[in-house]
Amino acid sequence: MSVSGSQRIRVFGLAAAHLRHEWVLTLCLVSALAAVLAPLLILMGLKEGTIETLRDRLVQDPVFREVRPAITRTFDQQWLDQLRDNSGVAFLTPTILPASSVIHLSADNASGELMDLVPTAGGDPLLLENGGVIPGPDECVLSSEAARRLGVKQGDQIDARVTRSRAGRIEAVETPLHIAAVLTPRAGGLARIYTPLDFVVDVEAYKEGRGVATRGWKGESARPYMSFDGILVFSQTPLDPVTRTGLVVNTGLLKAESITADGFAALTGMPWPDGWHAYDLSVPTGSVTSSSVEALKRKLRGRNALLMPYARGMSLQLPDGEMGLTGLSLSNEQASRLGWAAPPWGDLSATALESSRLFQMLLPGDAGESNRELSVGFNGVVGFNLPLRVVGQSHSSQALVPAELLGMLRTARERAVSYQQEDGGLVLERAGYRGFRLYARSIDDVPALVERLRGEGLEVVAEVDAIQRIQVLDRGLTQLFWLIAVLGVFGAGAVLVASLYAAVERERKDLGVLRLIGLARTDVFWFPVFQGALIAILGVGIGWLGYVLLAEVINRVFGGELSPGQAICRLPPSYPWLALLATLVLAVISSLMAAWKATLIEPAEAIREE
Amino acid sequence: MVVAITSTLPVLEMQQVLKTREHAGSRFRLSIPELTVYAGEFVAVVGESGCGKSTLLDLLALISKPSSVQCYRMTFTENEQRDVAGLWSSNDENALAAIRRQHLGYVLQTGGLLPYLNVRDNLLLPVRMNRLPDGRRRVQEMAQRMGVADCLHRLPDSLSGGQRQRVAILRALSHSPRLVLADEPTAAVDKRRARLIVEDFRALARDQGLSIIMVTHDLDLVRSVADSTYGFEVTQVSDNDIQSVCCKELS
Repeated sequence: MSVSGSQRIRVFGLAAAHLRHEWVLTLCLVSALAAVLAPLLILMGLKEGTIETLRDRLVQDPVFREVRPAITRTFDQQWLDQLRDNSGVAFLTPTILPASSVIHLSADNASGELMDLVPTAGGDPLLLENGGVIPGPDECVLSSEAARRLGVKQGDQIDARVTRSRAGRIEAVETPLHIAAVLTPRAGGLARIYTPLDFVVDVEAYKEGRGVATRGWKGESARPYMSFDGILVFSQTPLDPVTRTGLVVNTGLLKAESITADGFAALTGMPWPDGWHAYDLSVPTGSVTSSSVEALKRKLRGRNALLMPYARGMSLQLPDGEMGLTGLSLSNEQASRLGWAAPPWGDLSATALESSRLFQMLLPGDAGESNRELSVGFNGVVGFNLPLRVVGQSHSSQALVPAELLGMLRTARERAVSYQQEDGGLVLERAGYRGFRLYARSIDDVPALVERLRGEGLEVVAEVDAIQRIQVLDRGLTQLFWLIAVLGVFGAGAVLVASLYAAVERERKDLGVLRLIGLARTDVFWFPVFQGALIAILGVGIGWLGYVLLAEVINRVFGGELSPGQAICRLPPSYPWLALLATLVLAVISSLMAAWKATLIEPAEAIREE
Repeated sequence: MVVAITSTLPVLEMQQVLKTREHAGSRFRLSIPELTVYAGEFVAVVGESGCGKSTLLDLLALISKPSSVQCYRMTFTENEQRDVAGLWSSNDENALAAIRRQHLGYVLQTGGLLPYLNVRDNLLLPVRMNRLPDGRRRVQEMAQRMGVADCLHRLPDSLSGGQRQRVAILRALSHSPRLVLADEPTAAVDKRRARLIVEDFRALARDQGLSIIMVTHDLDLVRSVADSTYGFEVTQVSDNDIQSVCCKELS
C-alpha cells in the first residue's frame, strides 16, 4: 500500500504554499535570479544579433563563398572530382586558360566586343543568386556590364565568333547564342559571358587549332606525341666513356651503357648487327621524348651512328596468342648497313605519320606472309584494339611495328589516348583543366577549404579574412559570455544554496511535524528541491521578460541602420527553454544540500523545539 | 459513524519494550513491561515531567526506535496487522511513515499546525495525504462540532490558544485514524475547556471505536474518564543513570 507517489505532489503543494506564505523572501530570491539572468540573456542576444547581422551581409553574397586558384596550373579530372566530393563544396566547375577564353560577341551585326567566356554548370550560386538561370546548350548568361555594352537584354540572340590563326591564316567560326538571363550588377562589374563548360572547352579546342566535329568546326585532331623508354645507338666505332657521357648532356637522357648481345636480343628479338657496337641510352624513371631523339641525332652527326628508340614491357595480343613487340623505323640504306631487311614504312619521322603508314606491322615466320588486316590488342598500355595491316615477314622473333606507333602507344601510360575511327587514328585526350571556380556550401566552410588547398601547395584567392574576422569575434564574444555566465552562475548558485538551506533550518519544526503525520524522509527531501525549481521557473520568467523589454529598447535605439529582419539583440527561439533548463539544473543542484539537511531532521527532536 | 471492531485483538500491544537514551554522559532508560490498548479504549498516561512520557509517545508515534523489544504490534483491522518491532529492525521507514499517515493521529502540545496553510488546508492535509474522498464536507462537519467552523479560512497564527488546540485535535482526527496520541492537549487551555476536551475524547473513543492515548501530568483530569491509566516508577540508579518503568495503575 505504497502511496509515496502521491506524497510528492503533496510536498510540491506544501513547498509552493510555503513560498507563497513567505512571499517577500520568495520575491527577493526570484529577483536575484532574474537580475543574473536578464543581463546574461542580453549579452547573449547582442552576440547572436551582431554576429548574425555581420554574417548575413556575407552570406547573401556568393562572392564570399568563392574560392579560385591564384595561379594557372593543370588540374586533372580526378583531382577536381575529389575536391568536388568535399562536403564543404557546393559547386565546382573547371575553367580553361584565360587567354583561350576570350570570345567575340556581337548583336544585330553591330561591331561587337571581346569578352571573357566563363564556364558554368547546374547549381552555380553566382548565377542563381544574382538573378540568373543556368544556361542550356546554345544559351548564355551575360553579366550586366556585358549586356549594357552589347545593348541586349534577356531573350535576345547574339553571335559568338571564335577566331584563330593557323598556318598564317586567320580562321573563324560563328555560332548564335540565346541570352537566357542577364545578371544583376552584384555578380561583378566585368563584361562576361557564361556558357556551359562544353562550349568553353570547344572554343578552347578550336583556338588551339583542333576541330570540333559536333559543331562542324574544322581543324586538326590531337595526336598522341611519341615517348620511349630509351634509345639504342649503333656505332661502327666503339664510343669511349667520355663520348658516351657527352651524349647524355643536354639531350634529356641520363644513362649511357653498352648493351650485350643477349640483352639486345631480349629487348628487340633482332639479330645482332655484325661489326657494330650498341649502346643503351635511357632515363631510369621518366620518358624519352622525340625531342631527345632529335637532340641525340644532332650530337651523333658525322659518326654514321644509327638510332633505334625502344619501349619496354609492351606486347602484342594477336587473335592466336601473345607476341613480343618491337618498334623499328629505318630507311633502306640504314637497314642495309645493319644487315637487316628494311621495313616498308621507312625512316623515323619526327611528326606523327599518316594512319595508312602508321597502322602496319611485320610478323615473324609464316604469319607474315599474307597481306591482311588484324585487330590486335596491346598488353601493358592501352585497353583498346587497333586494326593493323600485316605487310610482310619480320626477320625478328617479335612483331615489328613503326617506332612512331610504338612511341604513341607508350604515351598512353602517361596520358589518356583513345582510338577514334572516324577521326582516323589515335587521339590524345584532354589532360585536365587550367583552373576552377569553386563555391563553398557556407561561408564557414571557406576557411577549411582554403586551408586544405593551401596545404596541398595551391595558392588560392578567397574572401577568407572577412569570414575569419567574424569567426574570431564570435569566439571572443562567446568566451566573454561564458566568463560572465560562470560568475553569474556562482553568484546565483550561492544565493540559492544559502536561501534554501536557511529555509530548511527555519522549517525544521514544520518539517518534523510533516514527518510525524506521515511523510517519509524521501518525501521531505523534495521540499527544498521543489522550492528551488519553482524559484527557478519564476526567475527565468521574470528574467526573460526583462530581456525582452531591454532587447526591444536596444533594437529601437541602435538598430536604425539595419535592414528589415535584422536586429542588434536577438536570441534564437530555443533560448528561453535553454535558459529555463539551465536555471532548473542550477536550482536543483543548489537545493541538494538543503534537501540532504531536510532528510536528517528527526521528528522526535524537531516537534518539541520552540 | 460507528465502526464495529469484531476482532478481540488489541489495537496496540507492547511487551518488554526498552528505550535507552544517552546524552552527555547521562543515561535514561524507559522500560515498558506491558502496554495494551483495545479499540474504543481511552488510555491515560500520567506522570511528572522527566519521567519518560515523551519517550513513550515517540515510541508509540513510531518516530523513535526501541532499543530492545519483545513484542510491539499494531492491529488496525482483522487483515491489517503490523509488526512494528519487525519494521524497526529492518529500518523500513517508509512503512512506518505509511502507518503514521494512515492509522495514527497525533495532537501536539503546541498544536503543530503548519503556519503557511489556513485552518481548512491544515485539516485537509491528512485527508489529502491518504487520498480520502469527501474530505471538505467531513472537515466542515467536524469543525462545526468543535466550534471552529468560522475560522476555517484563517491562518493558525490568528487563532486563540483554545481554537488552535481544537484545530490541532481535529487535524489528528480528520483522516479517521485508529489510534490517536495526545501529548498534553489541555496544557494551553483553562480547566473548564480542558475537561470538555477530555470529555470529547472519551466520547469519540466510545462512538467511533478509536483508541486514544492521552499523556498528561494532571491525574485529576483523566481519573474519572480513563478506561485505564499508566504511570511511571522512576528510580535514580546512580548520579547519571535514571530508570523509569511504565506500569498500569490499578484503579
